[in-house]
Amino acid sequence: MIEVYNLWKQYQRPNWALSGISMKIKRGDFCFITGPSGSGKTTLLKILYREILPTQGQILIDQRNILRIPNHKIYYLRRLMGIVFQDFRLLFHKKVFDNVAVALRILGIPKKEVRRKVFYSLRMVNLHNKMWEYPKHLSYGEQQRVAIARAVVNNPKIILADEPTGNLDTELAFEIMTLFKRINKKGTTVLICTHDRELIRHFGEKIYFLYRGRILRKESL
Amino acid sequence: MITHKLIFLIKETFTNLWQFRGRNLFSTFIICLSFLIVGIFLSLSNNFQHIAKQIQKNLAIVAFLEEDASEEKINSVRIRLENSPYIEEVRYISSQKAKDNFSGKFPELKDIVDNLEINPFPPSFEAAAKKNVLSYEETIHFIDEIENMPGVDEVQFNKDWLERVQAFSRLAKAVGFFLGGILVLASFFIISNVIKLNVVARKTEVEILRLTGGTNLFIRTPFLIEGIILGFLGSTLSLILLMVITKAFPLYLGTSLGALTELINFRYLTFPQCLAIVASGCFIGFMGSYSSLARFLNV
Repeated sequence: MIEVYNLWKQYQRPNWALSGISMKIKRGDFCFITGPSGSGKTTLLKILYREILPTQGQILIDQRNILRIPNHKIYYLRRLMGIVFQDFRLLFHKKVFDNVAVALRILGIPKKEVRRKVFYSLRMVNLHNKMWEYPKHLSYGEQQRVAIARAVVNNPKIILADEPTGNLDTELAFEIMTLFKRINKKGTTVLICTHDRELIRHFGEKIYFLYRGRILRKESL
Repeated sequence: MITHKLIFLIKETFTNLWQFRGRNLFSTFIICLSFLIVGIFLSLSNNFQHIAKQIQKNLAIVAFLEEDASEEKINSVRIRLENSPYIEEVRYISSQKAKDNFSGKFPELKDIVDNLEINPFPPSFEAAAKKNVLSYEETIHFIDEIENMPGVDEVQFNKDWLERVQAFSRLAKAVGFFLGGILVLASFFIISNVIKLNVVARKTEVEILRLTGGTNLFIRTPFLIEGIILGFLGSTLSLILLMVITKAFPLYLGTSLGALTELINFRYLTFPQCLAIVASGCFIGFMGSYSSLARFLNV
C-alpha cells in the first residue's frame, strides 16, 4: 500500500530531517511511527500526503509514484487519504455536520447522500447526537472525534494521523486509539505518528522507531 | 454533481462575503469611488458631445463677399451654395439690407451708421445647413472650399465653437480616464489585498479543503466569485450615484449661470457605457482576486 524507498529530506544545510528512510506498509496495516520531537515523524507524514517534496527518494502509494503526480492533480492522492492532526483543524464557525460534510461537498455529492454519509460517520465516532452543534461547544476528545469522522467520511484507503492524541489526556487518547483500531478493522490502512509509548505498547502492531531522521528499528508485534 | 458543487460554492461565497462584510464593504466603496470619477468625467464629456451635436445641427454659414465682387463671382458662389447637398436654404443679403437689419436690431446705433459716409456692411450669403447631413470633418472641408472661392472675403461659421466644445469633450474624457485609471488601478490593488486578507482569515478552511482533496478550481472559485461580486456591486453603485448626481446637479446649479449651465451640465451615460463600466468592475474584481490567489494560494 505504502512503499518508501531511500527517502531523504533536507530543509536547511547541513542538517537532514530524513536520512535514507525505507519502509513498506501493507494494505490493512495498523502502524505507528514513533520517536522523540524532531526525529522526522511529521516530515515523513507531510511527504506522504505531498505537502512537501523530498530531496531524494521514491514513494509508491497504491502502486503509484506519488512524486510524479503533477501539482494540479494532487487532489487524486489526497482523496485516497484521511488526515488527522493534533490540533484537530476544525472550522469553528461551522457546525459539526458541515465540518464533516466538507470532504463530501468537494466531490459534488448530492445533499441526501451527504446527510446519510455524515450521519453514518458521526455515529461511528458516537457524535451523531451532536451533529448540529458548533465544535467550540464540544470537549477536546469530541473535537478530535469530529476530525476523525471528517477523515473517514469518504471511505479513504489510508488514514494518516499526526499526534492525534497529543492534546488529550490518557483516557481520551485510549478512546481515540480504539476508534482508529475500529476503522482499521474495516480494512483501512492506518499510519499514526505519536511519541506516546503507553499507546504504542497497548495498540502497536507494526512500529517504526525514528531518531534524527533515520529508522532506528522496526518492530512487528 | 456539478450543480451540487456550484450550489455549495455560491453558498460559500455569500457566507464569506457576509462573514467579512466590513472589509468587503470598504473595497466596494473604493471601487464605487473609482468608477464614479470615471463616470462623472464621461458624463461631462457626453454633455460636450451633445452640445457639439446641437451646434452642428444648427450650422449657419455666412459668406461675406468682397465689396467689388462682380455679378459673375457672386452668382458662382450662389450656385455653389444652392447646389450643395449640405445646404438647406440660401439667402442673399445685400449691403443695404445688412445695414437695415443692423439698424433694426440696434436702433440706438442707427444714427452712427447713418452718419458714416460709406456702408460698412459687405454683401453676404446666409446659408442654413441641412440637419444631420454634415459630419464635423465634412463641415470643415466645405467651409474651406467656400472660403477659397473668388469673390468671397470671409466665411463666418460657428465652427470655432464646434471645435472648442469638441476639444472640451476630449479633455473631459482624457482627464476622466487618467484620474479614473489611477483609481481603478488602486482599487485593483485594494481588492487584491482584501481577498488576500480573506484567504489568510480562512487559512484553516483552505488547508482543510486542500487536504481533503479539493481541486485548485474548487478552492479558488469562491474567492474569484467574491471578487467579481465586489466589482459588480462597486461599479453598479457608482452608476446609481452618478444618476443621482446627474439629476441633482442641475437643481443645485439653478439658472443663475445662464448659458454656462448648459456647458457644465452632466449627461447620463449611454447604455453601452454603463455596460462597459459594470463589465470593467467585474473584470477588475476578478483580476484582483486572481492575482492575489495566484501569488498567495499555492494549492
